Amino acid sequence: MTLLGYLVVALFLPLFPISMLFNRLYARVGTLRARVFLLLVWPQLGLLVLAELPGQPPTWVVHWAVVTACFYAFRAVALRDLTLWIAYMATSAWSLLWAMALFAPGDMLLVLQALAFSAPFVLLAWLASRIELLFGAAYAGTCGGLGQTAPRLSVLLVFSILAAVGTPLFPGFFALLATTANLLPVLPGAALVMLTAWFLWAWAGAQMTRGLVVGPAADEPKPDLGLAATLPPGVLLAVLAVAGVTSLGYLT
Amino acid sequence: MGAKLRVRSMIYVAGEPVPFFWPMRAFIHHNPLHGFEHLPFDQAVEKGTRLFHGRGYLPRVEYQRYLADGQVNRQALESGVRRFVETQPALPFDLTDWLMAELAQHERPVAVELTLAGADEVYAALQGDESPAVTEIATDALAAELRETLLRGRPLYEVADALYGTAIGQELDEQVIRACLDFFDEGQSIWTMPNRERGFFRAWLDVAGKDVRRTLADLMRRAPDGGDDDPESVIALVFAEFGVPEDVWLSYVTQELARLHGWAGFIRWRSNAGHYYWEQRFPGDLVDYVAVRMLLALTLLRRRSNGKLPVTVGALADAIEADPFEFYLRREFYGAGPFLPMAHRLEDTLLRGNRTHIAAVFAEYRAGKRRFEAERQADRLRHFADRSGLGDVLGRLGRDDLSVLLDSLRAFRAHEGMIWLRAMEASAIGGLLQGISLQPPAPRDKRPFAKALFCIDTRSERLRRNLESVGDYETYGIAGFFGVPVSFMELGKGSENHLCPVLLTPKNLVIEMTASGARDEAAFSALGKAMHELKESVLTPFVTVEAIGLLFGFDMVGKTMLPTGYHRWRDRLHEEKPPTHLVIDKLSREQADSIVRAVQRAVIVKAVEQEFNLAPERTTDDIVRELREAALDHQGGAPAFIAAFGLNEARAAAFIARLRDVYRINQAFAQFQLERLGRIGFSLEEQTGFVLQALRSVGLTDGFSRFILLVGHGSSSENNPYESALDCGACGGSHGLVSARVLAQMANKPEVRRRLRAKGIDIPDDAWFVPALHNTTTDEVRLHDLALLPPSHLVYLDRVRNGLAAASRLCAQERLPGLDPQAQGLDPAGAYRSARRNAMDWSQVRPEWGLSRNAYFIIGRRALTRSKTLDGRAFLHSYDYRVDHKRRLLENILTGPLVVGQWINMEHYFSTVDNERFGSGSKVYHNVAGRFGVMSGNLSDLRTGLPAQTVLDGGRPYHQPMRLITVIEAPFDHAVQAVESVAVVKRLVRNGWVRLLIVDPETSMVCLYDGGEWRRRVHAEDHFQELCGL
Repeated sequence: MTLLGYLVVALFLPLFPISMLFNRLYARVGTLRARVFLLLVWPQLGLLVLAELPGQPPTWVVHWAVVTACFYAFRAVALRDLTLWIAYMATSAWSLLWAMALFAPGDMLLVLQALAFSAPFVLLAWLASRIELLFGAAYAGTCGGLGQTAPRLSVLLVFSILAAVGTPLFPGFFALLATTANLLPVLPGAALVMLTAWFLWAWAGAQMTRGLVVGPAADEPKPDLGLAATLPPGVLLAVLAVAGVTSLGYLT
Repeated sequence: MGAKLRVRSMIYVAGEPVPFFWPMRAFIHHNPLHGFEHLPFDQAVEKGTRLFHGRGYLPRVEYQRYLADGQVNRQALESGVRRFVETQPALPFDLTDWLMAELAQHERPVAVELTLAGADEVYAALQGDESPAVTEIATDALAAELRETLLRGRPLYEVADALYGTAIGQELDEQVIRACLDFFDEGQSIWTMPNRERGFFRAWLDVAGKDVRRTLADLMRRAPDGGDDDPESVIALVFAEFGVPEDVWLSYVTQELARLHGWAGFIRWRSNAGHYYWEQRFPGDLVDYVAVRMLLALTLLRRRSNGKLPVTVGALADAIEADPFEFYLRREFYGAGPFLPMAHRLEDTLLRGNRTHIAAVFAEYRAGKRRFEAERQADRLRHFADRSGLGDVLGRLGRDDLSVLLDSLRAFRAHEGMIWLRAMEASAIGGLLQGISLQPPAPRDKRPFAKALFCIDTRSERLRRNLESVGDYETYGIAGFFGVPVSFMELGKGSENHLCPVLLTPKNLVIEMTASGARDEAAFSALGKAMHELKESVLTPFVTVEAIGLLFGFDMVGKTMLPTGYHRWRDRLHEEKPPTHLVIDKLSREQADSIVRAVQRAVIVKAVEQEFNLAPERTTDDIVRELREAALDHQGGAPAFIAAFGLNEARAAAFIARLRDVYRINQAFAQFQLERLGRIGFSLEEQTGFVLQALRSVGLTDGFSRFILLVGHGSSSENNPYESALDCGACGGSHGLVSARVLAQMANKPEVRRRLRAKGIDIPDDAWFVPALHNTTTDEVRLHDLALLPPSHLVYLDRVRNGLAAASRLCAQERLPGLDPQAQGLDPAGAYRSARRNAMDWSQVRPEWGLSRNAYFIIGRRALTRSKTLDGRAFLHSYDYRVDHKRRLLENILTGPLVVGQWINMEHYFSTVDNERFGSGSKVYHNVAGRFGVMSGNLSDLRTGLPAQTVLDGGRPYHQPMRLITVIEAPFDHAVQAVESVAVVKRLVRNGWVRLLIVDPETSMVCLYDGGEWRRRVHAEDHFQELCGL
């Protein structure tokens, strides 16, 4: 029964190869609402089931999880489609929740950490839909130069990617920092793999930013976001940063 | 030998479309499309922009702004559109209205590029119907189309990049740039490439990686005759390896050269500049360059393909033939840019490589893209029609009419730029004609207080106008080298600098000398070199920063916080350049012999001192004479020398042999020195000829004032690699003071004046030519060689200085608001101070606008435009046809100054319309490369054109890009015959690279050459539209 439970959790806190189901589903779902719903709810379902399971996850699952995170982060480096990139990066991030579950002092913190991981992806999903609307797809390298033509959208995109890849100030950074610090004495191998995944996130983020924001602009000018459309996501990013800084004490 | 010559000549021809790039030290304005000037302007733009991947006209939105500002003539625009419509099939409505609405109101063209969709699909999309069924392209036809577009004369690595996304082209460019930086370096690097004297290709090969040498060895091993590693053979071998047919080598190489056209242009210029020191020391030409590129390309292709990709033309053709669907999708994804909604699917499909799947995706992709294009075009049409009130017209269109409309709209896109340009030029022509005066100037009863000859440069116009307004001054325009081509050797410099347009090669050398004692230049230069090495080598910068970094901090604070005061203080630290004389007279044979003898004697004394470690006083004149005679083979031995120093015969003979071989005391070298000395100065006849020509060419043949100022110009700015671009183009990118001094010295010579008198030009004894320098950054005019001024003139000097100072201040007041809007309202003195600060501010990216906004070239008397303010937009060359019966003077003006003016104009034109490709982008990212050019960032093509800060203001054009509007004031036949007799100008006029107007003062007719014919109208303000064919 416990094994079945872990299998269910492995679907929502994705472990390879079960993780493919989420990625396939995310790619299939066409609407923004459905994608946002998936990004917010999917890991929470996993945490819900995990909380019902007795004891802590076995260490082999944690190893499996960090390898899954590393694998998806590595794959994300070569991805050019922003929508798929979001799915892969989310898979990579959520799989690390297994490791965090080992040390989280309470379920609520884990829920918040999962939310903190999901929030930047929600923003990115919204931005991807805006870019798809303008270009037909959010595809790095072919619809680049947004920095010149759509500066507001670009600023949001850059900060959302920074939040998604666990850059300082954003909660992902502190969560990963605390987990690494806790994991290192217990499972040093897993901690190193997790750090590798973190490094790969940064690389993947830089690649995506380079492909969308810099470079020559499209021949036809595209409309930028209005101020009203820019403010809410901007505020959300600021809230995330504040949350990251204030949650520092809890995590260390 | 024949094959090598064929490769060499092929590369010579292939390089012709690539414009020369001169070193930045003497920035030469050039037309980026100079290689296309044999074509009409519109065709040249079309071809040139395709080759260099640039843009030939401004974006529509910029022309619309000019239209709103009244700088585009709406009637001319409409007339151009109507002329285009007349060439198109008829439509049930007036296409002119449609196009005018599009031009005036819409930022983007209505016609989109349709690669798959046709009029039927667009019609269906407009009607909201399903797309009609389309017969898909046959496999054979698809393969043929792919072969033609991919393989015909295109570098093979570009094909690989377009099919496999290998990005070899980028890597190749980077490696070639590194090789060029290493080889062509002119002293910037501390560690230089070894063996550079062996030539570019061989020196590069010595330091190239193992894989490059392995590739070369493999090529030579498989060559039928064992192969040769000279660059020509390597090129032929690589072409054979690629399987490129010989008939496309030319276009292949042209495209190779166009990829880094800055470097290619520099190497092309360098290999043609026989006098260039660095070329003489380290030779390198385009053959070397192409060999480097091709060998590297082959190496990279082999490395990247790893034996798995087809990397020859034949293999690629076979692969395309075998699976055209896959290659079509590859080209779409990696080359052309995919239809985005299917981009990921495409990538996924290509990575999987399943042929059945590829065929299915091929059909789906084309159908999707076709539908997308049709809907996009339909949306654009609907949107345009709704906004322009042409909805009914669109609604009534049948399928066939829509097809005609779409074809016409697409054709219009190719013509639109030219129509805008002509309309803008019509406006500029109209504006000019409305202000000119054909009335001859009123006769004067006394001569003006002073006359001044300025350079034709557009920046002189403001100063001339203001000088004329402050006193009794008469001004003239002449090319800034004052018609005297001079090769100049500056005091303390060992190299010659050509002070004339690059079209000319000066024969005469002028040397600058001083009576003051020699300065300790060596100490300064050694200190400078030591500092440079400390800063640039690998380890020392760390120590340097610790040790003397603070000194630089002091310098930085001074330059930043108090530029004016700090510079004044620093200038005091530097010793002023002593007063100098220019040697402009030819040496007689005796004088030259005497100089050679003196040099030989000095060398012999030094040789004895060095070889025998003896004090110079022990070497008597007799011994020196004897040694000299012996070294020159005038006598058999040197007995006095042997006796004096107690040497044996053999030792003395060996020393005499060393004198011949090492110290070059021999007949051949003496002859060489005599020839060099023979280049110094001008004969009296030459001097008279140059003065006569200069005065006649501007129509100054009588009424000489007490002062005749010869005003050259230059600029001064800090931290500006483009400083020489602001100097005088007619002086080869140097300042014009030396040329002014040379002509003044000639014209003040009594013997020259006596000869001039015999030729009908009587310069009174109280007339004195005074050289001066106009600093175009500060507007200051400084008089020079005042020590030579006759005492009788000293009492008038203050008046001249006051007049010039007043004109300078007024000029600065007029000019400065264009640089800094906050300077609006400054008084003349305040503006003048601000201008001086600009020149000293090292953070100033735009110390002045230079020649930006140039538009006109006016050849005629000052009275023609004296009453018109030309805002520093006109090159003004004085010319009086009444003293030029044989048209020689006019032909000279057309051959030199006009051609240089056209280069300047085209440089500004193309740098404005496409600053990234034809200009040099923002100065902010520039780094000096090799001491001869600039790059953007640390690795890029040499930036050839003008920086954004010179032609753009806030990202928008400051320079108004138009072809040079040239006006000749002369009788019609007189002017036409002169133009027809100068082949290069005839070609420029007929091909529309300059717009030519002739103003005939005798008949009051104005004639415009347009579209292969002359339009003539009587000069009157309301006749301008007829003249422009409106």
